[in-house]
Amino acid sequence: MAWFTIPVENLLCRCLCIFITVWLTLLIVFIMVPAVLGISFGIRRLYMRTLLKIFEWATSRMEMGAKEKNQQLYKPCNGIIAKKPPTSLQQDLKELRGSASCPRSEPQFEMADIFFFCRRGVESILDDEVTKRFSSQELDSWNLLTRSNYNVRHISLRLTVIWGLGVLVRYGVLLPLRVTLAVTGIGLLVVLTTLLGFLPNRELRFSLSEKIHLMCHRICVRALTAIITYHNRENKPKNGGICVSNHTTPIDVIILANDGCYSMVGQVHGGLMGMIQRAMVKSSPHIWFERSEVKDRHLVAKRLSDHVADKTKQPILIFPEGTCINNTSVMMFKKGSFEIACTVYPVAIKYDPRFGDAFWNSSKFGMVYYLLRMMSSWAVVCSVWYLPPMNREEGEDAVQFANRVKAAIAAQGGLVDLIWDGGLKRAKVKDAFKEEQQNLYSKVLLGEQDERDLGDDQH
Amino acid sequence: MGASQTRAEHQYQDLADKTGFSFEQIKNLYQRFQQLSGNEETISRANLDSIPALANNPIRKQIIGAFFDKRNQHQDEVGSCDQIGFEQFLMVMSHFRPPNLRTTDEEKEAMRKEKLRFLFNMHDSDNDGTITLAEYRKVVEELMSKSGEIGQETAKAIADAAMLEVASINVPNMGPEEFYEGITFEHFEEILKGLEMESRMHIRFLDVDTSTMRCGKSQS
Repeated sequence: MAWFTIPVENLLCRCLCIFITVWLTLLIVFIMVPAVLGISFGIRRLYMRTLLKIFEWATSRMEMGAKEKNQQLYKPCNGIIAKKPPTSLQQDLKELRGSASCPRSEPQFEMADIFFFCRRGVESILDDEVTKRFSSQELDSWNLLTRSNYNVRHISLRLTVIWGLGVLVRYGVLLPLRVTLAVTGIGLLVVLTTLLGFLPNRELRFSLSEKIHLMCHRICVRALTAIITYHNRENKPKNGGICVSNHTTPIDVIILANDGCYSMVGQVHGGLMGMIQRAMVKSSPHIWFERSEVKDRHLVAKRLSDHVADKTKQPILIFPEGTCINNTSVMMFKKGSFEIACTVYPVAIKYDPRFGDAFWNSSKFGMVYYLLRMMSSWAVVCSVWYLPPMNREEGEDAVQFANRVKAAIAAQGGLVDLIWDGGLKRAKVKDAFKEEQQNLYSKVLLGEQDERDLGDDQH
Repeated sequence: MGASQTRAEHQYQDLADKTGFSFEQIKNLYQRFQQLSGNEETISRANLDSIPALANNPIRKQIIGAFFDKRNQHQDEVGSCDQIGFEQFLMVMSHFRPPNLRTTDEEKEAMRKEKLRFLFNMHDSDNDGTITLAEYRKVVEELMSKSGEIGQETAKAIADAAMLEVASINVPNMGPEEFYEGITFEHFEEILKGLEMESRMHIRFLDVDTSTMRCGKSQS
């Protein structure tokens, strides 16, 4: 039967060859060429709309399933407790004391006051504004990822099949494709920027470097299937300014660099990151700090100022929060970048959580796991708003300016504006806050004390 | 998928019976527990310490201590533990549940006593069943500033006056040589007899009817 097997093998080989050729052609035509040229066929948006329809269908199936079994679909709620509207310490204490039957007794007041603080304390343990920002946001509808499903009981057979298909598509088709693209993008970046470093002509080097950076970032964006909508592009950051933005994930950098060239600021790393950094700096002026220099704030400020003063250099990209927040709020901006005298261009980035959770919870998983998660989600959909440039006004200090910028970013992105420091993810709160409350309570008591003293004097 | 869910349901049912929370509330609280513990099985004091809103509270240490106090677990044990699991967390939270329409008067009385006991335990830090002058003074000092408005002397004076008042109400015929040991639980109850606690010391836990309400994050 030898004559039978050889043609089959030939056939198999030929099929495989054709398959690979077609695959590569599609890849190059639909992904690489648009990336290089900076055009878009709109395939990703079509993909996004299809996905949304599927998600809605999946959620409605689950609701039907829940109704059949006469149970309720668990929807993650905004809070555990109903908080009273915030009132001042004085008002609350008056209310508390008012209910005591014996009006004069001192000890009764003191002991009753404990209730107030006790209840407030337990309320903060149950629901506070900050701790929930450091874990992923919860979703209303199911997006066919087991990571974000709470209603495991209500999945019917049909849904399970669709989910299985989803897994196959995501891990079998999308993930390898994306990994290939990412590797290509980074590889091209390193190679081309190194080559460019050898060019003697500065002008040529500059313009070419811009094109290369943009191209490689576009490839990386396609590697993540990121569907980005830029708003108000007339406000894009210009040379000699600083661009500030809220920080959710390291991918923020790629998303912003997709649309313009920025100088990055960061610590010098080792390994692959270090190699990329060294390559990038050969063709355009990025600011990388040694670990030891980061602590020296004056040195940092000087380098930033020097860069900004040179109007031919690109705008600097800084994330003043200092850490990743889960994209429902904006936390305290560190004032360092606002002390430099130049124009600040605020940018707000908001991710759509229905397609994949972009937040990098660095205490839960490391960088590589995070990237794999990102590449095996459906897509990364986000909106970027360029806000009008801001300058520090007369009589405004760095902190006030930072807060003003933060409020603008929060308002645009629909995020909650918090005063708390993102560093609280890892550090504890200072005792100064507790002392403030103690002072306040003492003042209230002192008021009472005065009344009592007056009363005593009359005896 | 099915088997593990019913086991969790069973566990929640147990907890619901013991603590009086509803199923939905327990699920919400479990999520919060996970957030606080960083997805671990137990919470330690450091986890609670790191809540910024709690930092404002002058009696933060006592409140956190209350969670780790075995007396609040209603199992007749004393002492404190270093880590608490979800069940213990719920038991402490159950002290703050308000009575609902179906609670009988007896149950209300029992709940009131429980809440008083909780507060008593917070003052009585050495577990001996009485709040001595020193212990009470410590709590008053925590409430007040260590500097500025009211100095430590005044705090001491307030605490002393308070103890005197308690003594005079509870042991009216105490002679000059007798020494008032400390506030026992009965005296504590007596002092706070007039205070309407049901509305002062409860937190309204949301029990959402999820079939009619859409309670997700609406601004995203």
